[in-house]
Order: sequence, then C-alpha cells, then structure tokens
Amino acid sequence: MESKRTINSSALLLVCLSLVLGMGACGDDDNSTEDPGFDRSTLLESLANGLIIPNFEALQSSINALSTATTAFNDNTTESNLTALRSAWQQVATDFQHCSAFGFGPGNLPLGSFATVLGVFPVNEQGVEANIVNPNFNLPASFDRDIRGVYAVEYLIYGNNLTDANLIAAFDQNRKDHLVLLVGELKTTVDGIVTAWNGTYQQEFIADDGTASGSSISLLYNEFVKDYENLKNFKIELPAGLTAGQPDSDPSIVEAFYSGISRDLIVQHFQSARNIWAGQSKSGQNLVGFQEYLQTVTGGTDLINTTLSAIATIDNAIAALPQGRLSDNVDAAELATLRDALQNNTANFKSSMSSLLGISITFNSGDGD
Amino acid sequence: MSSTTSPYQRFFNYLGQSVSIAPLVVFRIAFGLVMLYSTLRYAFLGWIDKQLVDTVLHFSYYGFDWVQALPRTGMYAVFILMAISCLAIVLGWYYRLFATLFFLCFTYVELIDITYYLNHYYFVSIVSFLMIWLPAHRYFSLDVRRNPSLLTKEVSLWCVGIIKLQIAVVYCYAGLAKINEDWLLHALPLSIWLPAKTSIPVIGGLFEYKATAYIFSWAGMLFDTFIVAGLLWKKTRWLAYIAVVVFHTITGMLFQIGVFPLVMILAVTIFFSPAFHEAVINRLRSIFSKLGLTRQTLVEQHSTQGRGAANQWMIPVIIVFCAFQLLFPWRYLLYPGNVFWTEQGYRFAWRVMLMEKAGTATFYVKDGPNGREGSVINSQFLNPHQEKQMAFQPDLILQYAHYLAAHFEQQGMTDPQVRAEVWVTLNASPARLYIDPQLDLTTVDDNWQHKDWILPFNPQDYEKTN
Repeated sequence: MESKRTINSSALLLVCLSLVLGMGACGDDDNSTEDPGFDRSTLLESLANGLIIPNFEALQSSINALSTATTAFNDNTTESNLTALRSAWQQVATDFQHCSAFGFGPGNLPLGSFATVLGVFPVNEQGVEANIVNPNFNLPASFDRDIRGVYAVEYLIYGNNLTDANLIAAFDQNRKDHLVLLVGELKTTVDGIVTAWNGTYQQEFIADDGTASGSSISLLYNEFVKDYENLKNFKIELPAGLTAGQPDSDPSIVEAFYSGISRDLIVQHFQSARNIWAGQSKSGQNLVGFQEYLQTVTGGTDLINTTLSAIATIDNAIAALPQGRLSDNVDAAELATLRDALQNNTANFKSSMSSLLGISITFNSGDGD
Repeated sequence: MSSTTSPYQRFFNYLGQSVSIAPLVVFRIAFGLVMLYSTLRYAFLGWIDKQLVDTVLHFSYYGFDWVQALPRTGMYAVFILMAISCLAIVLGWYYRLFATLFFLCFTYVELIDITYYLNHYYFVSIVSFLMIWLPAHRYFSLDVRRNPSLLTKEVSLWCVGIIKLQIAVVYCYAGLAKINEDWLLHALPLSIWLPAKTSIPVIGGLFEYKATAYIFSWAGMLFDTFIVAGLLWKKTRWLAYIAVVVFHTITGMLFQIGVFPLVMILAVTIFFSPAFHEAVINRLRSIFSKLGLTRQTLVEQHSTQGRGAANQWMIPVIIVFCAFQLLFPWRYLLYPGNVFWTEQGYRFAWRVMLMEKAGTATFYVKDGPNGREGSVINSQFLNPHQEKQMAFQPDLILQYAHYLAAHFEQQGMTDPQVRAEVWVTLNASPARLYIDPQLDLTTVDDNWQHKDWILPFNPQDYEKTN
C-alpha cells in the first residue's frame, strides 16, 4: 500500500516536472505546416515576396544611385551634378517611405527600427556642422539619431536657405567626406537588410506563422501600426502644432524641410500603409494583406467596410493638402482635417483589427489572464 | 458530545477537528517553489525594469495611490527579498516571518500598477495572506529542527479547509462567470481566439472549426463549475485531477498566461488524501537522506498542544474572510449595464479569459474653455501594455486624464481641460464610442458610484435605471 502511494506521488512529480518543461518549450514556436483555416503563411509569403523585399531592393538601388551621384558631385561640384544628386536623394526619400513600416527582423537595428534611426527629423544642424569639422568624429560609435540618415544628407545637399552657388562654395573636403560618410551608412545598413531578407530571414519569417508576441504577424502588425501613428504624430500633428501643450505650429519640424517635398512623402507614406493593409505591391499588383485575412474572421466584413470608408476620407484629405512646401502651410486647416481623418482610422488599424485577428500586440510586457 | 451543543458550537467543533498536517506541508513546499520560479522568471524576463522602473507613470488601484514604485535598486531588493522568502517558505525556515514578508512584497509589487492586474496575482496574494496564519511549518521543516516542540502531525480542519474553499471559489466563480450569452451561445471570445492558434502543434488544425470553439466554451464552463466537486469526491478525484492537468496544459499552450496553469495544477493537489501527501513527504525525506541532508532520525512525538487549533476569535475572522470572498465578486449586480462593457465590479471576481476587448483612446488637452486644443501622443507617457489596458477600462481612462491635467498644469497651463475620444470593440462587435468625447474628465472623480459617463453598450441596458 505504502509503496503504491509512493509510486503515485513519484508519477505526480514527474507529471508536474514534464509540464514545467513542456510549458517552457511550447511558447511561441510553431512548426506545423498543416493549417487549413486562413493560412497566415500565405499572407507572410505574399507580403515578404511582393512588398517587403521588393521595396527594400528598390531602396537599395536608389541608395546605390545616390552613392554614385555623391561621388560624381564630390569629383566635380557643379550645379548640374548637384541637381542630379538631389534628384537621386528624392528617390531615396520616396523609397524610404515604402520601407519604414518594416522595422523588424533585419530592419530592427541595435538603436531601434532602421526608420527611427535613419529617418529622423528635424536634423540637428549644429550637431552635423560640428561633426563635419571634428576629425575624431566616429559615426558608428555615435548614438545620436538627429545627425545621421536620410535627412542629414538632405541638409548637406540642400542647405538651410542657401543659394546653390553658396552651397557649392561651402562644399570643402570635410563636407564632401561627411556626405560620403552619411551616405555610406545608409548604404551599409540597407545592404545588410536586403542581404538578410534574401538569406535565411525570408524563410524564417514565413515559417513563424503563429499569432503570439514575437511571431512574424505580430512583428509586422506592430510595426505597421507604429509607422502609421508616426505619420500622423510626427509628419502632421507636431508641425501643425496640434499636440497638447504646443503653443503654435512649427514649420521647422516638417519632414524634408530643406527640399520641401514633405507633401509628396506624406502621400507615399500613407500609400505604403494602405498597401500593407489591402495587400498591394507598390506597382499595384494584388497581394494577400490584412484585408484578406479580415475577410475570414468574425466581425471582419464590418471592419473592412469601416476601414475602406476611413481610407477614402484620408485619401480626400491628403489630396486636399495645399501644394508647395508644407512648411509654408503648417497652419492650413487641411492639416487638421487630415490629422482627424488619420485619427479616425487609428482604432480600425490599431485596436479593432488586432482584436478580431487575435494578434498579440504587446511584446514582452507581461502575461494575460 | 451532548445533545445540547449549539449549532455554532458544533460548527466550531467541526472546524477544530484534527486532520493530518501533510496536505498543508506539501502545499507549503509546492507554493514556495512555484512562487520562487515565478519571481525569478519575472526578473529574468526583464519585467522589473520594463514594467516597474522604466515607466513614466503608474496606474494605481483605487485607494492605493500611496503605493509607489521604488527606484531600480529598491525594486531589485524587493525581488531578492521575495525570492529569499519563497525559499524560506519551502524550507519552513522562520516560516511566519518569511510568509509575512512574501505576502507584503508580492502584494506591494502587485499594487504598484493596476494595468498588470491578473486574477492569478490576486489569488497568490490571498493565498500568501492565508499562509501567514496557517501552521504549515510545524512538520518537515527547518523550524521543527530548530525547535522540536513545534512538531505536530495534526492541524485543525479549517487550516486545510480554508485553502480548499479559496480554490473552490476561484473555479466556481470562474465557471459561473462563463454562463452568459456570448460565451455559451456565440462561443465568444473563443471563436476569435482559437482560429488565431491554428499553428499550435497537434490540435491546432481543429481550431479553424466553429464547433471547436463551442465545445471548448461549454467544456470550459462545465470544467470550472464542477471540477471542485469532482476533486472532493474520492471516486472521481484522479479523473478530476487528470482533467485539471489537461485543461491547464491546453490553456497554457494557447494563451500567454505565464505560471498560472502551473500554480493551479500544483495547488489542487491539496484535495488529495492525507496518505498521498504523507507519501510525498516520505519520498522527499528519503531523497534528502540519500543526499545526506537530513538527520538520521527525527523524534516524531505527537503533539496536540497549540496545534493551530481554531481559537474562538479565529471563527469570526474566518467567517468575515469567507463572506468577503463569496460576496465581493457579486458587487457587479449593484451597477446598471453590461459588466463586460462598464467593468464596474469586473476585477477581483475570477473573470478569467472571458472577453476580447480592445480600444483606442485619444486624449485632447486645452488650457481653459478657449485654449488651443492639442492631442496627446500616448507613447510619450505610457508603455504599450499600459496604453492597451488603459484604452478600454473607464477608471484607467479617468486616471490618465487626471495625470495629463496635472502634467500640463506643471508645464504652465492654468486650467487644463482633458477630454477623450475612445473607441472600444467588445467580442468582435464594431468599435463604438465608450464615453462622451466632449466630457471634461477633470470634472469627474473616481468613486464606487455608477459611472454614468460611460456610454451604454446596449441602450436598453440603462433603461432600468433611467
């Protein structure tokens, strides 16, 4: 009798122990390929191959062109080379908008999402100027975000309120070297991201088709929402002086202040968000996105209709933005209208969609019950 | 026993009956171990910094806003003390002191920020509070080795019974809470959650079917409601325990619920017979003696003196404690409206994994009625978890509004007014406005009264009060 009890208790201890180990091992990784419902791996594969990788490759090639134009300009600082350089930069800034939502996996740098490291504005002009003349400046060792990236390059090649002749006259060797340095960092970073995606990450991304924190869909979703909110918060709300405590609008903090192409970039940025949601490549080819996923879940059709109507409102609000430099128009009522339109769609993208799809939106923040 | 004893006296005698101490001792060891694991896990996941230290603000429990987080070093010290307390509880070493310290540390950490509220943390707080008063260290412990006069093999029935009652409350109330239209008739929220889990090994393929959500909903309700009956009855006990293990293993695989499954799988062993627990202790004893960790023979003299018997004054305390446990979860009935929507009386009522609710809350601040109005970028004040939780819980929306008013007053506003546009979805319903977006939340104070500023989920819910 006693020995039987002992066996029972040992069995119990064993059961408990295996459960502890089992729970540790289960976690988030799902290796099963059998998935007869909505196949999340189809969405992951479609967006990876049709949107994410092509968009990064497009950015890579426009950065290569920028690099070439930089060399040409540095060799021969003429106005026509400057024009070519600026045009190459504009393509980079445009392509950047179509990648900024993909700051996970290879796009997640030690300092954060690559777009929040290399796409920071406003630029710290004094900082950049100080770095140009500092012979000991070490870019990779610097943690400052507002002295590097796409918009620091913009500052160098457009200048703040300079004539082209004056800008070229000021382009001494230090300035040329600094331009090469900043463009070089863009190139190295994006080359690294493209190489990683074309290496093993693409398969990893597609294979990890669960919905828990840290799964591919949750990473993609979280960055998508953050990037969408960045558009609203930093590109419209803050320059327009629409956040709490701002006494006034502030034209100096628009994106692409020096080139004045802010409006175009807003158009591109929202286009990118819509492509991810609706499942569409940059060139308009049909892909599987969140919209298609929503079609398969309870309450999804209602949310799709609400979202489509909110997107139409945003489209109208963007089309109504004043032409020309955004920094000349930060007080325009159209900015407030666009902000409201984006805000009205935030719940659709942010809380309602994750709720219907059952995606864990908080990463590493605790347990639920 | 004379026939003249009063019912009260008979009840008192019943609670004071001698039973084996073994279930309580095994419970002490298991509880200490799983809490040690939980404490270390929390620390190693980096949550001390992420949840408690690196935050701009904390959301407090009603009436507990005086509980504040310590600086980083202090928080780590609390967790080290908590881990030591767990170990001391396992070993039965200065047990009362460390049981008290564990209760205080754990509850302190829990009270820092309500956005991390979990029913199982509440359960741990209650159980650790009970443990302070239970003589769980008077057998198979270092305290007994230190002071052999503590040794006893028997305790009063209430000492084991009160833990069983607490576990029964958790399961039964969790089961009763599942008896609602959405859960049983629409399989919500499981029909949202399960299709998201199709990539779980082995059983994942079943989750695309609506029928699976219905089966899980009904099975979950029946399990929670009746499992304690199954555990109490000797003939079904092992079967019920297998059900406990299966149920908690599946929920542990499906949902991010941390150590909760393990806590329950270990806690319900208290329903097993004393003989089982004595066998567990003997087993542990023989392992320890093989490792040379125990003295060869422990003089086990049977002591009945002061064996944690129910003192007369204990009875009213136990009755009040039990009455609170039994009644407090029902307070939601005193409020109008849908408890899932208003959350009035939602917490501390064992509503576990019961609804899928999410919201987006945008706050607008202006200085005086004619001031320039601006919106708030929540991520500047809240971490993603806090923002998510705040956006659908009315008391947290209010706390945040008051925080923002104080913040902008400090920034130089003279009369900050705060309003919020909050869109909430509940169990896949289309998102709708949660509160009046024009209401200045600084004019509203939190209290136990019905929050009439929450817009109704179904307008007819409010007809009975208006």
